[in-house]
Amino acid sequence: MDAFLLGLSNGVVCISYCAPVLVPYLLGQGSGVLANLGIVARFLLGRLAGYLAFSVLAFTFHTTLPASVAARSLIMGSTYIILSVLLVFYGLRNRTSSPACAARGSGPFLLKAGRLWPALAPAILGLLTGLTICPPFLLAFAAAVEKTTLTGSVVFFVLFFCGTSVFFLPIPLVGSLKRLSVLSTVGKLAAGIIGLYYFYAGLILLLGVIKYP
Amino acid sequence: MPDNPSIGPHATTMTNLRAALTSLPMMLMTFVILSGGKLTHDPRHLFALVATFCFLNTLFFLMVKTGRTDRWRAILFTVFAVAFVISFISHYVEARGSMALSESEILECRTPFCHIVIPMTIIPLALTRTIIFPGTMTGVYAAIASMFIIWIGASLSLGRGFCAWGCFLGGWDDGFSRIMKRPIIKNIGKKWHYLSFAVLLAVALTSAAMLSPTYCEWLCPYKAVTEYVQVTSLTRLVQMIIFLTLFAGLVVILPLLAKRRIQCGLFCPFGAFQSFTNKISPFEVRVDKNLCVKCKKCITVCPTFSMSEESLDKGKARMTCIKCGKCIDNCPKGALSFHIKGTSLGDDRTAQRLLFLFPAFLFLSTMAGGNIQSAIVRIIGLFTTGSLLAH
Repeated sequence: MDAFLLGLSNGVVCISYCAPVLVPYLLGQGSGVLANLGIVARFLLGRLAGYLAFSVLAFTFHTTLPASVAARSLIMGSTYIILSVLLVFYGLRNRTSSPACAARGSGPFLLKAGRLWPALAPAILGLLTGLTICPPFLLAFAAAVEKTTLTGSVVFFVLFFCGTSVFFLPIPLVGSLKRLSVLSTVGKLAAGIIGLYYFYAGLILLLGVIKYP
Repeated sequence: MPDNPSIGPHATTMTNLRAALTSLPMMLMTFVILSGGKLTHDPRHLFALVATFCFLNTLFFLMVKTGRTDRWRAILFTVFAVAFVISFISHYVEARGSMALSESEILECRTPFCHIVIPMTIIPLALTRTIIFPGTMTGVYAAIASMFIIWIGASLSLGRGFCAWGCFLGGWDDGFSRIMKRPIIKNIGKKWHYLSFAVLLAVALTSAAMLSPTYCEWLCPYKAVTEYVQVTSLTRLVQMIIFLTLFAGLVVILPLLAKRRIQCGLFCPFGAFQSFTNKISPFEVRVDKNLCVKCKKCITVCPTFSMSEESLDKGKARMTCIKCGKCIDNCPKGALSFHIKGTSLGDDRTAQRLLFLFPAFLFLSTMAGGNIQSAIVRIIGLFTTGSLLAH
């Protein structure tokens, strides 16, 4: 459930930053709601592929962690705290663009891809957004590292993907994007608040190490 | 819409008479509500009844006579919040011997339900058909069902007016926001105007994920003046520190410095949620663009940041408007007014204002009346017996 929750909190931000790039392209290609749905589905599959790649990476990282509970708690607690501070900072800063979003600024590439492989372009676009290294994503990565099996890590990222994807579903129906800036502000602030929760979770892990070394 | 000071004594008498006649239905209704249809013989309760009745109806009379809304509403609203805390705390100390809730009382579902929890309960209610709050549905003080019924009725009629005419906690930040003559913090960045929506999103998601009311557990500043969970662990201690810090910051210090309702306007998730009910309420605050000179006084005084240059261009307040009437009271040109949706802006503004004031004030009187009476009885008890408690 944590993964889905984190995905939901990240999804608002993701959609608000990436949609101004994605939606004109997606809607420009489609000729109706059904056609747009097809494009969005391919786009989401691309995102899923990106996330699955990260789930394998998270498990690989997990296997390199030391075996002792205290050492793991120390590493994970510190990681949570660092990343949650980053998430809170990310929620509070005033910048209106997200340099971390891989899909942003990829307009020329997309135009080329759209001409060469029109059917694959949405999936490539999805893959690029799936590879976005923004703070909520890093926090999800840190949480996935805690999973002890590859399946657990994959399930975590699939749930994270489901959470972020909720916000993409209405896209074929969305005609007006004028409120996206407000959505972006609300999403970032909400991500900051969720970051406070993870800060607390990290703190509890570290306190546990101090109390029971 | 202030009084004209140059009118003669005859006209003043006529104005008073007209205001008294207009207030008569309110007097009857408040009497029935406050007395419950029967007069008590206990002198303390009788005094409390008469004092509350006079207090409420004097304020309503002044609202009608002077044409000002917020000036008189704020007095009642603040007194209500203080009276609520006196009454609530005394009641719970009598019932369980402490302001603190024990773990066993939570497990036995004896936690009083508050309207702020409503947005957190809706998603889990839809998904699991469970109310994620350790309270009782019916029959006792602050039961879940009664609060839902009050909320639905108020939302349909007043929309977010609930936050200025019904919230039993909002009078705290409203009161503190009126103490300073001039604000020290004048500019609050526009992005913060959306913070309450972010809090709503965060607590709705976390409550749905954890199946517990996360705002009540972690973020509610009013826990500092109502009930809180006994400090039995580090987590409970952290929660208590958060409650006290948020109360000091959002309800006392920032409203004092900014002269705005910071908790209500920038943080409360219920307020953000309630903003959507403004879409179904028949009442709204409108700007007559022909009269507006864009002096921006309304933007400066709005306690919940619901007036902006954009809203002046659109001719109406933002969806977060709590219909307190402060902007209307302060407009030097009388360009703002309470308006009933579907009618023309040129229609009788006094009649439209009264059509709003009657349900709004009656709702506030219904919510406040019992608490003010109870607080008066307890304060008399404090002077006569040395204790706020009945036993």
